[in-house]
Amino acid sequence: MQTPKLDTSFDSNPSKDYLRREYDKAIISQWRTELGKLLKYLGLPAWKMLDVIEWQQFMDRFTTIEREENQQHLMFLKANVENVEHRLHSLYGDFDEILLTGRDSYGHTPDWPYELVNLDYFGGFIYADMSRPKAVRKLIQNQAGYEQSFLLIITQQLRDRDTTKEKKGFLTDLGKSLKSGILDTKLHPSVDQIISWYADADIPDCARQTLYMNYFLRDSGEAEHFDVACRPAVIYPGTGGSWMIHFVTDFRFQSGVGHRVASNQSLLELINLGLLEARELGFVKTRFVQPKLSIRKRK
Amino acid sequence: MAPEVKQPVESNQAEDSEELFYAAAVQILSEDLYPRKLEIIREYIQNGSDALDDWLKISDLVPGDRTEPQIKVSIQGKSILIFDNGIGMTEDDIPKLKRIAYSEKKVGEEAGYKGIGRLAGIAVANKLKITTTSYGDPKLHQFEFRAADMRRDISTKKKQGINEPASPVIQRHTSMWWTDIDPTDHYTLVEIREIKDSCDELLDPDTLIEYIGEIGPVDFSPAFKHGTDISEKLQHFVPDYSPKNVYLSRSDGKKVRVFKPYNDEMKMATPQFIEIPDPDNAGELLAYCWHSSNAEEILGKMRPTGRIFQVEGEEIEERRRFAGLVYKLFGFSVGDRSLPERTLWTTARARAQWFTGEIHIIDKNVQPTTSRSDFIENVARAKLYGEAQRRIPLLLNKLAQTISDNRKMFQDSKNIKQKLEKVKTQLKDGGIERSDLKVIKEELDKSFRKLNTRKNTSDKEIAAFQKEVRRLGESLQTELNDPKRLKPGYSVSDLVKELEMSTKARKVFQIVMETLQQHFSKDSDEYHAIAAKIHKALKDKYC
Repeated sequence: MQTPKLDTSFDSNPSKDYLRREYDKAIISQWRTELGKLLKYLGLPAWKMLDVIEWQQFMDRFTTIEREENQQHLMFLKANVENVEHRLHSLYGDFDEILLTGRDSYGHTPDWPYELVNLDYFGGFIYADMSRPKAVRKLIQNQAGYEQSFLLIITQQLRDRDTTKEKKGFLTDLGKSLKSGILDTKLHPSVDQIISWYADADIPDCARQTLYMNYFLRDSGEAEHFDVACRPAVIYPGTGGSWMIHFVTDFRFQSGVGHRVASNQSLLELINLGLLEARELGFVKTRFVQPKLSIRKRK
Repeated sequence: MAPEVKQPVESNQAEDSEELFYAAAVQILSEDLYPRKLEIIREYIQNGSDALDDWLKISDLVPGDRTEPQIKVSIQGKSILIFDNGIGMTEDDIPKLKRIAYSEKKVGEEAGYKGIGRLAGIAVANKLKITTTSYGDPKLHQFEFRAADMRRDISTKKKQGINEPASPVIQRHTSMWWTDIDPTDHYTLVEIREIKDSCDELLDPDTLIEYIGEIGPVDFSPAFKHGTDISEKLQHFVPDYSPKNVYLSRSDGKKVRVFKPYNDEMKMATPQFIEIPDPDNAGELLAYCWHSSNAEEILGKMRPTGRIFQVEGEEIEERRRFAGLVYKLFGFSVGDRSLPERTLWTTARARAQWFTGEIHIIDKNVQPTTSRSDFIENVARAKLYGEAQRRIPLLLNKLAQTISDNRKMFQDSKNIKQKLEKVKTQLKDGGIERSDLKVIKEELDKSFRKLNTRKNTSDKEIAAFQKEVRRLGESLQTELNDPKRLKPGYSVSDLVKELEMSTKARKVFQIVMETLQQHFSKDSDEYHAIAAKIHKALKDKYC
């Protein structure tokens, strides 16, 4: 009988390799320097743990979450082969569930807090049950419980069908929020204009997703007393013709603050962050360009 | 109606197609083979050790491979993982994992050979996963045994009265896969997954460190100063002595190298060695033994002090856990520390526990039982036990006696020296009264008589110390005989004044004391002792 071959897809691709080796690594290195210690990692790496292996010089222990038994077993193998098995703390189960319940399938808990969180999702971010946004909020709350600043990296698949009720509602709320902050009502049309651009079903979802995610992260972080600094989202071609989107966000905890924090990065700056597109050898000029919001009076 | 009597059916000879091995037997085998569940870990360490040995035989032929040959044990969740970067398994080896008690290892060449060890994990866990590749193979192979599913399946079928043959059940609950891998890789990872709650000691790193250190083919710790000497001797005399680098990852993220359980805090004497020659092959050894005992610093040197070997610990059993010798075969322990005592000592068995150490078996015809608690009864074992009995207990019992004699001689000499020094100080300070002399001399005499009974010591330094004490005693005796060095006792006239005696009483008292002095003229110490007693009695009565 022929022995079947294991499915070990979802490993990596050249664009992702570039992001991991160059873009993310440089930011992680800065965090390592800023904190003056090795970073404790929480993440969802695939069994080859390419990120852990690539960044290990900046890292202390790493907690990985894996919901597929065989993938977890192969991760144990990889950790042994790479001689990092003693630094591995592997939890078994669904990431969202572990975050929300606090325990994995065997009752083990994450080793809070973390300085580096890399959530490389297989799939999109928004599902009907909103479990992923809820889990990320819970993650931010947990970090805040330890008053721990951290770097959050989120990678997800771009799925146009995500353009549903959630995003429409979000854009309406964002519009209201922006207008409430702009006292000069003459400027409100430019807000409406940009919101309707984002709401247009014909525009590529990556623009909408960029705005949604960055705003979501900022909003969740500020509520938990973090000064949040978002970066332009990075899109890149994934495996099997899909597109991926990648967010790298700084969460700096503001000690001794009881009220909601206002980040140094303004909302306007966040909206205008834009997009980058990565390929094998670096960033390329992207065709996905969104309009910028300006609230200056035209002369 | 009379009950129907079923006649026993005469069994015919088994036909070729008849299944002789049933699924329940696999369950029984897996659950009952290892009464102490930690022994399952030994099975995998043993397989890892054999894989490293096999790799080392060919590693010189592989260019550029500089990885440290090692076995690594780690705990993740409810899994224990045992990894080795040994020779690995080939594609042909994987299906053979399903075969119970099948082994291609040759008796006498490798540590494990019974073919049960690779599946040992199914006794304590719900799943067993083995992933492996060998040098030159571009495939990574994985084997999975779903033990819990199999147990449930067998149990359900039993309730239904179905006795299913073993093979289809094993087929149903095992799977194999492969994936691409770098052909230069070579390793094996065993994951014993979802360990049962009743076996949670397997998930305790400290228990594993001590267990592997005690039973595994590991080296001596650098924190044990005698380790290098013993290792060198073992490497010289035991042909297959090749300690392995075994590491264990602790839950705090630290990786610990596992060593034999000896360290300098244990206060051990310089080890000694015993060769057990093969009477049938001149120049060949059947076994080689190293042993040591507890030691104390005596006369500036660690010397064996005897008594049952102990280490730090709260309970007595914990303190005595390394007391006794242990048999080692291919570096692995066979039986516990009571086995040599039971198999070699016929008299004075307690003396076996005065020592700690290992008996490395060189004759590979001596084979362990499946449980590794003893050796299979055969001619080789009989020869080993016979020859070892003639040497090890004899030498160690004698050594124990010598250690005991030396310790007692030193202790007695030390006690006398302390007494002598005390007297000498008193004498120097003029604190010894004439009247105390007799008692002091008697005490010293008694001590010296005791010391004289301990004449033989093999330890020259202790003998020299004893001599030094004797000399000190002799010189002190001379000093004690010099009345000028002593505090003068009460004179008759002092007492007469003190008691305000009448003239008549004074004369009577003088006559009594002169008579006594005359009577004890040959033993003036006795006179002074009696005079002191009389003085005290009179003072107590009249002062």
